[in-house]
Amino acid sequence: MLTADLEVDARGLNCPLPILRAKKGINTLNSGQVLKIVATDPGSVKDLEAFCKQTGNEMLESSQQGGEYHFNIRKG
Amino acid sequence: MAKRLKASERRATILAVAKVLFSDKGYHGVSVDEIAGRLSVSPAILYRHFASKEALYEAVLNEIACKRESYVEVVVGSDGSFDDVLRKITRIYVDSVSSDPDYLRMELHSALDGSDATRQFFENRWRPFTDFIEFSLGDLMAREAIAPLKPPVAALAFQGIIREALYAKCIFRTSRYSDVTLPVLCDQLVELFLKAVGYAGEGQNPARDRQKD
Repeated sequence: MLTADLEVDARGLNCPLPILRAKKGINTLNSGQVLKIVATDPGSVKDLEAFCKQTGNEMLESSQQGGEYHFNIRKG
Repeated sequence: MAKRLKASERRATILAVAKVLFSDKGYHGVSVDEIAGRLSVSPAILYRHFASKEALYEAVLNEIACKRESYVEVVVGSDGSFDDVLRKITRIYVDSVSSDPDYLRMELHSALDGSDATRQFFENRWRPFTDFIEFSLGDLMAREAIAPLKPPVAALAFQGIIREALYAKCIFRTSRYSDVTLPVLCDQLVELFLKAVGYAGEGQNPARDRQKD
């Protein structure tokens, strides 16, 4: 099971806040470390995929669990 | 006789004409007969594509929704501060909406049409701003970077400021603001808003500094 180096709670936050949280979280990590972010905004799926593409980070996992969206992102 | 179009082309032209008419007269001011007449087709052709006038109106709104602005790029490119993100997402929204004045007219009509669903649709386009402002101001207050205020009220003020600028420039074309472009006007309004909430930049703590005086 993947262990994240940093977990960010973006539940209840809508665009653009999950992206901002992801950006700030990733900035504190070293290359290769993993950020876990949990959101409830359905738009966060597309937004975080775009975020990874634009920033050169890798989306390791993207899943829906109940009303939540869980993401594991590896810093590039 | 109307030119024979493919189903997808027909659907697209119906949506385009409907959008113009809805933006001009609102939902209740337009009939299916009128839309069909503009297209030089019978209403039966319209009903092949859309079950009702309401379904057609919803389809027009969905087309608009699909063009939802993406704030990802500007947020990624920002320095993450409240003012930088607010300036950038405002610019994206204003550029997008001002390029489609029909959208603004539909928003105006929706306020009077009496449909909660459509009014909610347009209000949801403002959610990125109201949510971002409320959350960020709450965070700034917790850090004593600004004096206490009510974030929902500040968010409403911001929405009103920018919406009014869009109406003034894109619909009413108010001559008073003719010497300033919409992007510059909105930048200036963002600055006014930041001053009004007492924001002095990240890392500043004017509220705490005032207490020391």
